[in-house]
Amino acid sequence: MDTIRQDVRYAMRMLWKHRFATFICAGALALGIGANTATFSIAEAFLLHPVPLEDVDRVVALVDSQPQRGVQNTPVAPATYLEWQAQANSFEQLGAYNWDGVNFTGDGTPQKIQDFLITPNFFSVLGVQPQLGRDFLAEEGQPGRNQELILSYGLWQRRYASDPKILGKTVKVDGKPFTIVGVMAKGFDYPMSAEAWLPMAFDAKARVERDNRQLWVLGRLKPGVSIAQAKAEMLTITRRQADTYPDSYKNFQLRAMPLGEYAAGDLNRQYTLLLLGAVAFVLLIACADVANVQFARVSGRQKELAVRAAMGASRTRIVRQLLIESILLSLFGAVLGVFLAQWMLTLILSHMPPDIARYIAGWKTIHLDLGAFLFTFVVALASGIISGIAPSLMSSRSNISETLKESGRGASSGRARHRLRGALVVAEVAMSLILLVGAGLLVKGFHALVSVNQRYQPETLLTLNLDLPAVQYPEKSARVTFHERLLESLATIPKVKSAAMATTVPYANGGGASGARFSIEKRPLAKREDAREAIMETISPSYFTLMNIGLRDGRFLSDADGDKTQPVAVISGSLAKHYFADENPLGKKVRVGEDDSNPWLTVVGIVDDVHYNWLQKEDIPTLYRPYRQNPPHYTTVVLRTDGDPKVFVSAVRAKFAGIDRELPIYEVKPLDVVIHESTVGIGYVAAMMAAIGVIALVLASVGVYGVMSYSVSERTHEMGIRMAMGATGASIHRLVIGNGMLLTGIGIAIGLPLAFMLARALSSLLFGVSATDPFAFIGLPLILGSIAALASYLPARRAVRVDPLTALRYE
Amino acid sequence: MEPLIQFRHLEKSYDAGGSKFFVLRRINLEIQQGEFVTIMGPSGAGKSSLLSIIGMLDSAWAGEYFFLGEPVHKLNNKKRNELHKANIGFVFQSYHLIDNLTVFENLEVPLSYKNVPHKERVSLVCDALDRFHIVGKKDLFPNQLSGGQQQLVGVARAVILHPKLLLADEPTGNLHSAQGEEIMELFKKLNDAGTTIIQVTHSERNAAFGNRIIQLKDGWVVSETAAATVQSA
Repeated sequence: MDTIRQDVRYAMRMLWKHRFATFICAGALALGIGANTATFSIAEAFLLHPVPLEDVDRVVALVDSQPQRGVQNTPVAPATYLEWQAQANSFEQLGAYNWDGVNFTGDGTPQKIQDFLITPNFFSVLGVQPQLGRDFLAEEGQPGRNQELILSYGLWQRRYASDPKILGKTVKVDGKPFTIVGVMAKGFDYPMSAEAWLPMAFDAKARVERDNRQLWVLGRLKPGVSIAQAKAEMLTITRRQADTYPDSYKNFQLRAMPLGEYAAGDLNRQYTLLLLGAVAFVLLIACADVANVQFARVSGRQKELAVRAAMGASRTRIVRQLLIESILLSLFGAVLGVFLAQWMLTLILSHMPPDIARYIAGWKTIHLDLGAFLFTFVVALASGIISGIAPSLMSSRSNISETLKESGRGASSGRARHRLRGALVVAEVAMSLILLVGAGLLVKGFHALVSVNQRYQPETLLTLNLDLPAVQYPEKSARVTFHERLLESLATIPKVKSAAMATTVPYANGGGASGARFSIEKRPLAKREDAREAIMETISPSYFTLMNIGLRDGRFLSDADGDKTQPVAVISGSLAKHYFADENPLGKKVRVGEDDSNPWLTVVGIVDDVHYNWLQKEDIPTLYRPYRQNPPHYTTVVLRTDGDPKVFVSAVRAKFAGIDRELPIYEVKPLDVVIHESTVGIGYVAAMMAAIGVIALVLASVGVYGVMSYSVSERTHEMGIRMAMGATGASIHRLVIGNGMLLTGIGIAIGLPLAFMLARALSSLLFGVSATDPFAFIGLPLILGSIAALASYLPARRAVRVDPLTALRYE
Repeated sequence: MEPLIQFRHLEKSYDAGGSKFFVLRRINLEIQQGEFVTIMGPSGAGKSSLLSIIGMLDSAWAGEYFFLGEPVHKLNNKKRNELHKANIGFVFQSYHLIDNLTVFENLEVPLSYKNVPHKERVSLVCDALDRFHIVGKKDLFPNQLSGGQQQLVGVARAVILHPKLLLADEPTGNLHSAQGEEIMELFKKLNDAGTTIIQVTHSERNAAFGNRIIQLKDGWVVSETAAATVQSA
């Protein structure tokens, strides 16, 4: 311990003595360590604590998947859930929830609430109870008895000013009276973004439904039962179900996973792991840079190390001494890195729109905690060892007696050291190229996402959502009348060019556009699993023009398409291509679902495809119907305005109040804001990757510069001789730059195939990313090569300025 | 009494383009405890190489080497290092003090490698500072000392643990004659007190401080003679 203290003291003295190099190295490490700490904090929140509940690892999510279609998570139908509940022995209890959205009215401003329908035992499964009031009773899960609700802490605070006497109060939910029986604790909002919970009840029809998949099931494991055991049991049950009802379960496969893993989401996990990998690369590049500096420093200390050996220092002691120096350097870098990480996290957290943040599992738990500090410490130790081990081992191996000789150069391990330093630069260049390609592709993908939406001219579009309650608007005619009045009324607002409505506007509501089955006349399905699917849109006729969606063939929907006329539909180009490849779809008849009671719709037009969300890589078949023939409850209204859409919000609200003052409208935002919010996550990843790519490029250039610079200073004598023998400046330039470019070239050659593998993985993740992008695979290596050439040129220029006489006298 | 050092057919060579270049050839030598031996010879004769092998800094050689009866040629690196730490001190021509350590800390270096506890280390260093009359220099760095003072610290560092053997490679090569004389007197005293000394030198006068001279040429031992007695200044 005492000798370690002595080594530490000496190391600090050495670091201070070479403080310029120390600060450069600590800065490089700070970039690497800071990026790792910040990303770790995000990963910790996303992957380790996405659901901040106690004992959450005993809660298992049970979902279906469709591996053949690449669908990871699919809900299950009530009959499936009820059978699981009756047959599974691994769980204390199983509970379920379903997404919902309701209008709160009757006690203030009408408000759209994000609620969840839950089985009465749902909170028990999660191991939580209301902070105020009570949980749902078992009988409140019976049809007709489910008239209670539990508020989130946030909603209780905002809408009811934390009224302690709220319990027992009746509120109107979608026009029906509900009694508030509880308030959940502050911070509890599972499932994400929940503002209220209502009891779920299954009527006799629902209880036998196997295809109406809407339930997300959670189970609390019995003590002593592992997830693997529970999964094995559940697989037996699901296999039995599939044998009995093959039509309903074919191609579905159960997935059982800890709730945390489920809540984190596969996509979140993939991108988080991508970023973790990227910052680990940055750290390795920084370590390679520091290792190169350490090589230079210890080779200037060969005599000192030889003296220490002659004084009895074992090789281990010398390696320890040098490692202590590089670990201290890393710890210094780590201290700077923690500040950098805090700054990065503040930047990241402050730029995320709150409407999006509340849907990201674990977002609110992102901060630098003890785990992050421990991680930083371990990373710093590892960086110190990684960057110091090779220089230490190499230096401790040099020939002591040769080094101690009066004319000894201590260079017996020089060639090996040169090779290793060269290898480090090669590795740096290869890793930088991989990061650059990854960053370049993500940025291009993000740019493609932004570009694809420009045709809507989203900056002059105002969007808002409404949900007509079934109680007030049970009849189709009432809904048609409402929409007609609304669109007419909105169109009268000065400077509003036109108004339209659609059930799914691109990127609105997170871009969620779910498909539904449809049938084609005279083309029965050979197999049930070959079902045809398309997004079912219900729109007002002006929607296409307003959104700049082009007509390919036939006609648009028109105001003449009403409930008294022939039912019609317009289809997207991809639907035509997919299902009418060899025939003209115009005049053909399609029907929503496979139910004979639905009318046949005649295809009257084909329009361009629409990009619904950032996850969508290929066009999705879409079928549009006129709202007068299929008036919806849930609608997104779109207004084309002359100027900034935000200035029209109050006029729009006034028009709504004039038609139905009880109806809440929500998510009132310009479409460009909606698109920004929807793509902000991938935008973050792209921006972070771009920053990481630039950092990697800078660090790799510093690496090339450092090695070439050191090489030139080591070869001053050789340069002197060469020049004395008649070498020209150009030939010296060629010699130095050629060496630098050789290393860079090898690095690029190694990096390219690895970058291609990354590009293939990214192209499967993101729209607009091609695995053979010429910019990524030609442009970026050229940029990297050019910067490396510049990094080699600077030392080369110094080499040319060597005075042969001075260089030879120096020897 | 058991010889301190015994070489049998010691050889050292380098590969030079397929053939061998011999630095030392068939060295058979015995050095008794308490001797003061001088190794002399022209440049390239193998003097420093022999000294490095004796000091166990070089392990790339062939033959047999016994140190106090221990077969060094059979020992692994760790054992050699222990034997070296326990018994051998070094003095170099260019002192080789560590630039970034004070005199006190330079003297501490060999002690720390022998894991001497802190208190004992301080006591031993203070004793050495006192013995070599350099107490006033203890907080100075090597570049603040004259050559003679630096070599004094070098000798103090070499003998701080009372090694059985002190190896000196041209110890006065960088000193002017008065300083060199002083160092050689110091060696003589140490030898008189029982420390075996082996020095490499070109100086006949320095050689006269010892009692045996080994002449090397082209790696061969060409003669072993008794040294002439030096006239103290």
